[in-house]
Amino acid sequence: MTTSLVTKPIGAVGFRLLLLVTALLPLGCTNLDESPPSAITPANFYRNEGEVLSSLAGIYAQLRGTLDDYYNVSEISTDEMIVPTRGSDWYDGGQWLELHHQTWTPVSPVGNGFGNGIWVTAFTGIARANALLEVLPNLTFTSRDTVAAEVRTLRAFYYYFLMDTFGGVPIATTTQIQARPRATRDSVFRFIQAELTAARAVLPATWPAASNGRLTQGAVDAILASMYLNAAVFDKDVGVSPTTYNSCTTVTIGAQNACQAAIAAANSILNSSAGYQLADSFAQSFRANSASKENILVIKFAPVADIGLNFVMRSLHYNQYTPTPWNGFAILAETYNAFDAADHRRDAILQGAQYNVETGQPAKDRAGNPLVFTINIADETQATEGEGPRLYKWPADPKHVAQNNGNDYAWFRLGEILLIKAEAMNELTPGDPAALALLNQLRARPKQTVAPALAGPIARDLILQERRFELTGEAKRRQDLIRHGKYTQAWGYKPASAAFRMLLPIPQTQLDANPLLKQNPGY
Amino acid sequence: MALVRHVVPVLFSGLLCAVQLGAQDQTGAVTGKVIDATTQQALPSVEVAIAGSPNRMLTRTDGSFLLSGLAAGIHRLRATRIGYSPQLQDITITPGGTVTANITLVPAAAILEAVVVTGYGTQRREAITGSVSTIDGNAANVGVVNNVNNMVQGRAAGVTIIQNNGEPGAGAQVRIRGGTSISASNEPLYVIDGVPINNAPTEPGGFGVGGEPPLPRSPLNLINPSDVASITILKDAAATAIYGSRAANGVVLIETKKGSNAVGGGAGVEYDGYVAMASASKHLDVLNGDQYRLFATGQVGVWRSDSTSACTARPTVCQNFFKDSVAGKLGGLSPSHLAALGQLVKTGPNPGDTARIVYNTNWENELERTAVTHNHNLSFAGGGEDTRYRASLNFMNQEGVAISNAFQRVQGRLNATHNAFDNRLRLGLNVTTSHTKNDYITFESTAGFEGGVFQNVAIFNPTQPVRVTDPTSGQQTYYELLGQTSVRNPVALANQITDIGQTTRTLGNATAELDLVRGLTAQVNVGVDRSDGFRNIYLPKASPVGASFGGLARQSSLDNTTVTLQTLLTLRRQLGDIHSLDVVGGYEFSKFNTGNLTTQGQGYVTDALLFNSPGAAQTITDFSGRELSRQVAFFGRANYGLRDRYFLTGVLRYDGSSRFAVGHKWALFPAVSGSWRISEEPFMRDHGFSELRLRAGYGLQGNPGVPPYSSLLTLNPDPGARYPFGGVPVSGVIPTRDANPTLKWEQTAQFNVALDYGFLNNRVSGSVEYYVKNTSDLLLQVSNAQPAFASERLTNVGKVRNKGLEISVDALALSRPNFTWRAGLVFAAERNRVVDLGPYSSIATGTVSGQGQSNVNAQRILPGQPIGTFFGPRFLRVNAQGQQVFACVAASAGCVNGESLSPTANDYTIIGNANPDFTLGLHSQVNWGKFDISFLIRASVGQDVFNNTALVFGTKSDALQDKNFLVSALTDPTGIHEPAIYSSRWVEGASFVRLQNLTVEYRLDVPLLSGSARSARLYVSADNLFVLTGYSGLDPEVSNLASGLNPSAGLQARSIDYLSYPRPRTITGGLRLTF
Repeated sequence: MTTSLVTKPIGAVGFRLLLLVTALLPLGCTNLDESPPSAITPANFYRNEGEVLSSLAGIYAQLRGTLDDYYNVSEISTDEMIVPTRGSDWYDGGQWLELHHQTWTPVSPVGNGFGNGIWVTAFTGIARANALLEVLPNLTFTSRDTVAAEVRTLRAFYYYFLMDTFGGVPIATTTQIQARPRATRDSVFRFIQAELTAARAVLPATWPAASNGRLTQGAVDAILASMYLNAAVFDKDVGVSPTTYNSCTTVTIGAQNACQAAIAAANSILNSSAGYQLADSFAQSFRANSASKENILVIKFAPVADIGLNFVMRSLHYNQYTPTPWNGFAILAETYNAFDAADHRRDAILQGAQYNVETGQPAKDRAGNPLVFTINIADETQATEGEGPRLYKWPADPKHVAQNNGNDYAWFRLGEILLIKAEAMNELTPGDPAALALLNQLRARPKQTVAPALAGPIARDLILQERRFELTGEAKRRQDLIRHGKYTQAWGYKPASAAFRMLLPIPQTQLDANPLLKQNPGY
Repeated sequence: MALVRHVVPVLFSGLLCAVQLGAQDQTGAVTGKVIDATTQQALPSVEVAIAGSPNRMLTRTDGSFLLSGLAAGIHRLRATRIGYSPQLQDITITPGGTVTANITLVPAAAILEAVVVTGYGTQRREAITGSVSTIDGNAANVGVVNNVNNMVQGRAAGVTIIQNNGEPGAGAQVRIRGGTSISASNEPLYVIDGVPINNAPTEPGGFGVGGEPPLPRSPLNLINPSDVASITILKDAAATAIYGSRAANGVVLIETKKGSNAVGGGAGVEYDGYVAMASASKHLDVLNGDQYRLFATGQVGVWRSDSTSACTARPTVCQNFFKDSVAGKLGGLSPSHLAALGQLVKTGPNPGDTARIVYNTNWENELERTAVTHNHNLSFAGGGEDTRYRASLNFMNQEGVAISNAFQRVQGRLNATHNAFDNRLRLGLNVTTSHTKNDYITFESTAGFEGGVFQNVAIFNPTQPVRVTDPTSGQQTYYELLGQTSVRNPVALANQITDIGQTTRTLGNATAELDLVRGLTAQVNVGVDRSDGFRNIYLPKASPVGASFGGLARQSSLDNTTVTLQTLLTLRRQLGDIHSLDVVGGYEFSKFNTGNLTTQGQGYVTDALLFNSPGAAQTITDFSGRELSRQVAFFGRANYGLRDRYFLTGVLRYDGSSRFAVGHKWALFPAVSGSWRISEEPFMRDHGFSELRLRAGYGLQGNPGVPPYSSLLTLNPDPGARYPFGGVPVSGVIPTRDANPTLKWEQTAQFNVALDYGFLNNRVSGSVEYYVKNTSDLLLQVSNAQPAFASERLTNVGKVRNKGLEISVDALALSRPNFTWRAGLVFAAERNRVVDLGPYSSIATGTVSGQGQSNVNAQRILPGQPIGTFFGPRFLRVNAQGQQVFACVAASAGCVNGESLSPTANDYTIIGNANPDFTLGLHSQVNWGKFDISFLIRASVGQDVFNNTALVFGTKSDALQDKNFLVSALTDPTGIHEPAIYSSRWVEGASFVRLQNLTVEYRLDVPLLSGSARSARLYVSADNLFVLTGYSGLDPEVSNLASGLNPSAGLQARSIDYLSYPRPRTITGGLRLTF
């Protein structure tokens, strides 16, 4: 043993004191609970009507998301629209052409990109709705039950998008995150119908101006009318005909068939105390601040950052608007050429020599030539910047802030309700002249002759064509083509496709996340 | 001094009853001198110690030492110094006598310290059982070292450091034994003078013209490299487990210089300064104005020749363009593109009096410059036996090789130590404060869609001028293209946009160490780390970028405060010559507090206010937030040594973090390791080995790299969740994060086996190590089963395995009186494999940049494959029509004979691996008379890099929009109308050899100085002198940026090269003076 300088004790008391201090320091420093100083937790929220309305706004806000992926799939996979590759622009891993060609798979940019977007957007809306519905019973404020009815309607509407795109999906009414199996498409259909019917009894026919844009009885009726018209598609997991019309007469809703139910729903809109009426001109309903009495269920937009409509960006040429648009979405020649030249509804499609939509000055392409939109696109994989007509149905809002325009987007407007009613009537009584009268009512608006009157006789194809003219670019085409048994036909740049394409695949991401999900047949 | 020595004991004597000071025993002393065996010169700063006791001192400038108060009997005297083999000598002390012991030290191959900082204390090198690399601060501080990270590069096996880019002050990606986490942080834990540093960004993010996030700066920008005494890197679990939950990515321990070892003990002043010149080492090589004009006119010629027949054949599609009659594909450029060449100027009064001036602008030259850096360090140190201090000042100003871009640092540091009660109480204080200022430019990683200067250098039409004369005002203004998307004058971008980041960071820690009884020491360490970062940005209306906002000003601040408290008890016992015991136990508490505040205004009347008055804007938005978290740990480490041959270490750490879910906040991290010094065995004597040691260890480490509140359901008012009821937007509050009640640590289990060797009296030494790291419970963003509030939530799933071999060799190749040559080689090979991804079959990562590349990913994380696997279509060739042809499987649409023009998801396959087969670092020092010559060469072999720059600019299609492209495209057969498609074509082998640094240093004998200066040294140094590589892009070494807000977290993507800030080649001249 060696001795050293540090062999001497420093003192018993000092040592004990030091040990004590050392031992005491850890005490009281082991609390690891978290309470975020600048975030809200459920524990300190949902206390009054104002906070509930903020929560409600968040559920409505998710509606804007339906105009991205759901919109793209409903338009670009059809004979209405295409996004051609333009030089180095818009190739994007081939997703746009894959969408138009209907060659997606569960893992491809469309199947797992756009498809996943539709799935997540709708289900996020559903989750937010469930969260608010869970706390509402514990609260007391005057409008509580109306808010609850609104939330249920919103949730049902999000399920409507899922049912339309994927078929049956899991039905969840609680906030718990868990794997759930898919319900049958018919169960989802009946769930939506039951929810909407229950909510309708509580919802008002109209809101005061300060709440304009919130859901009404009319909105519920419009969703129901659309569901009933498509009932022969929506009520089955297998057996939807890819080649013949899927008629609403084949489905029973309560004591009547779905066509009758669709007519009844349309009639309650037509007879509503809300006083819906066709806009004076075709263009009016699409303008910013249109105050059109035709719109029934709208997504509200405002010329404010993050919450404006950006449709002008998607289609217009780089030099037609400020900020610089993206020069992408084009109308297919098939659709443009289908219009009667006298049909003013075609005026919403830009073709020929082009102008800046804000200044009215002639527009030039990026090489400095006069900008001309052609009708045809010679090669969808190598289009020039001027090829293809463009939809300009929602005109630029003079008050727009950057790309945010204040045009409301109507998921349902009276024009379509007339078409739904006409189609259902024609199913009940093929060639019904009263149905033809409804179509001609659309062509002769109060202050505008939109197009020459149709002579008839009315037929399914005539109605489908009229829907194309009236609803171009309103994200109805995919649903219409499927109902009419025409979605898998060849057109434009797309060869005929297999019947299973009428449903999108369940995205691989979702199959990974929820092992109880079963893939749609064919994928 | 006297005050402390006498008054303090008096004050405390009532408290510490039995204080006995001074030696009453019969003791003796030892004195002597230490010299270098080669040069026969006296050696200062040699630690001379009595083995097994804390009685030690450093030799003075003349190499002499004196240890007194030694008990009579036989003692073993140990002399150790960096760069020499330790020497042991037995001495016999007689009561009252003084023995003389002269010691000769033999230079060793590797510069190794005898005592290694290993976390919560030090260990003797022989006793270490874990995997530890040490770097001597002075040896590594050569060339332009602006960050401590530079000192580690190429000098420690298994440590990869890649500067993010060549931007001054840029951060670096530091990976110890590879990255094991897919989405949590892969950055190591930094510990400076015993205090763990919060490695969080200190400066608020930039605006990014397009919203891209900035790259964070390194936390080590705080430290002046000249203040670094040593860097220790703890690599395996046995070494790091003492840091438990934060140690999964390894630990970097930095010890700063103390008063005592500044200049061999006595007072001294050191000055060290350099001036460096830097320029970009390689250029993008885009077309110049003449080349572009020739190309464009040539393409217009092609257009004309194809047009006639095509239009006759297909009149319907021939409205405003023409078709190639053979392939039905477009060819050439329409004549209107000629209008994009140069400027049309009026030459006379008549309308037809115009001429076209075609400029020849080299945008790269316009943007880049030869950048000057100067750096000055001044330090002084001094003190006596009991109180020592060292103070240092640093000023550095580094210009970027791009204009309007610089980094500046002013830093001061004070270290003081005091010993009381005959060295039984040791007090220490370190205070470092630094102010850094970044003058940013908007380049790709920070600037988003249209603000990138390097993107614009690549595409801006070279036939256009930098400046034009405004016809109305007659003033010179920057030329901007009208009606072009995302093309901006890069010189204007750099000069017009103001973007300044400033950070003040102060790091202070105070320690008190008290020897309680023999071998038992108590220590308290308190550290505070506070940083305040500010970012001021103004996008002026004069710039088209700012004009779209009407001028945009942004002021943001970010503050971080970390408070750390450690209490430690250390027991060191040497029981005879047989047993040694070294035990540390302690408690550590850390509290993290971070907050941010941003004010942003848009729409200004004038540009005159810059960012200084956001309130004058038409619209103002503010956002802010604060996050708190805490970490608590109890830990212990015991090291037992038997006969100085067998060592066993056990570590336990019980860690708690507030960031995890209730019930999962605490975890235990154990480790066990052992070593056997075979060379000390009698049977190994005279077998040639001066050192042979086998080590093995196993342990667990955690990764806490998640933000606070990750397990909680939180709601937020989200601007995107507003909804207009009745036209008035109502704030929307939405749940933004789903609760995860099972969120816990990511855990890594590491096994390590190693052989340390030395022969020829340690003239050759080194080690060979093999390790396996299994990381499980990976923190991954996993898709929620819907419905859920968010599409993903952080979940513990999946496994990753890393295996690796590390070899290091150090040799003292030559040792003559006037010539010594040391060389060291580090080799590392690492294999990474994703074992399991939980519910995922694969995860796409590595966003491809460029027009038409939305939703395209370059890499996939796939089970069975390494992180950094390139995945996409396999490119075959370009066909006669100029189209790209890819391999395909028969099942996919458009596949003919295994070839396709438009590959589908089915055709995608593995097309590359971003990970090198192995890396090498070779460093060498030659001391020849008055010259010291050193170099460092690094090599990396076998990795692939995705040349995103070539994908976007390597074909001619940009000319369709009158944009420039790379010269290589002129000879490329790809058609001008072919879109850029990501494929194996753009994934290149990127092996390289880089001469990182070459330094020649000369010792001056200036008669004028020799009186006052103890030494004066002049040096010239070159950094990044050459890179040998087959890679066609700017630089084969690409930082592994993750796709996500923070490159150090988020999904891992490796080796994607897109328009990075060029790494400069730098020549430095410097002077070191010691007085």
